[in-house]
Amino acid sequence: MADQTAVGKEFPPFTWEVERGKIREFVQAIGDKNPIYTDKEAAVRAGYKDSPTPPTFPIVLVMWTNMLWETFSAAKINFERALHGEEIYEYYQEIYPNDVLIGRMKIVGMETKFGGTGGKMDIIRLEILYTNQRNEPVLKAMTVLVERK
Amino acid sequence: MKEIRFEDLNVGSEMPKLVKLPIDQVQLVKYAGASGDFHPLHCDPAFGKKVGIGQIAHGMLVMGFAGEALTNWISKKHLRKLSVRFVGMTRPGDVVIVTGKITEKKQEGEQYIVWGEIVARNQKDEMLLSGSFEAARLDTSGHK
Repeated sequence: MADQTAVGKEFPPFTWEVERGKIREFVQAIGDKNPIYTDKEAAVRAGYKDSPTPPTFPIVLVMWTNMLWETFSAAKINFERALHGEEIYEYYQEIYPNDVLIGRMKIVGMETKFGGTGGKMDIIRLEILYTNQRNEPVLKAMTVLVERK
Repeated sequence: MKEIRFEDLNVGSEMPKLVKLPIDQVQLVKYAGASGDFHPLHCDPAFGKKVGIGQIAHGMLVMGFAGEALTNWISKKHLRKLSVRFVGMTRPGDVVIVTGKITEKKQEGEQYIVWGEIVARNQKDEMLLSGSFEAARLDTSGHK
């Protein structure tokens, strides 16, 4: 059972420097061959400053910094019973190689629901606001986790 | 890659369907390494068996396919929001098919905003992911 008292908890800001090679690795894993993500010149021709990061790239930041696991321990979520329910991104600006992002993560909500088969589950909502090296907001990420009982 | 013009996007306009190659174990390993998500539910078939739901692919990999389909159609630089619910479990061997369409459009002078829905299904037509997006061509100068 997730710990309801963790709602409102804010985590220490975490930093992530965006590497070009990491973007390449990520789109290769997906099999996304859009050249803007790996070829700077193609990106510039398409109207970008450099290769942008693909839409779901922000997941890399929470996973490789272990921040998502931090929420599991802070909210006492059983790792083995947890599923990813929803993921929502709001994009304010492009994120480019060499950008240094700061993420501020917060547990914004928790509720208990009953599934169709009568199974109980806890819904945990997280929000992360990312700013870049110019302190401009670049992205908001919202994650919904489901802990099955 | 030819960019679609917002002038040509209308309510009901369909995104070109994306049919992915079957998800194999190698792709799950690559995605685990790239994303940093090494949850054993995705990486270790024995673990899936132990917890009783079997091995499932990363939901974020399927969302990645959705992002691929979407930004092949509407340029990444116009994307304002992408929101998905993971409604089904994706299994190794599944062929993921992503479709989508425009559901609403607003135009004010030279400025356009479109909203749409996006869905991923497997080869058995079971829904894996259901979501929505928002894209805008507003002041492009501020978005470089």
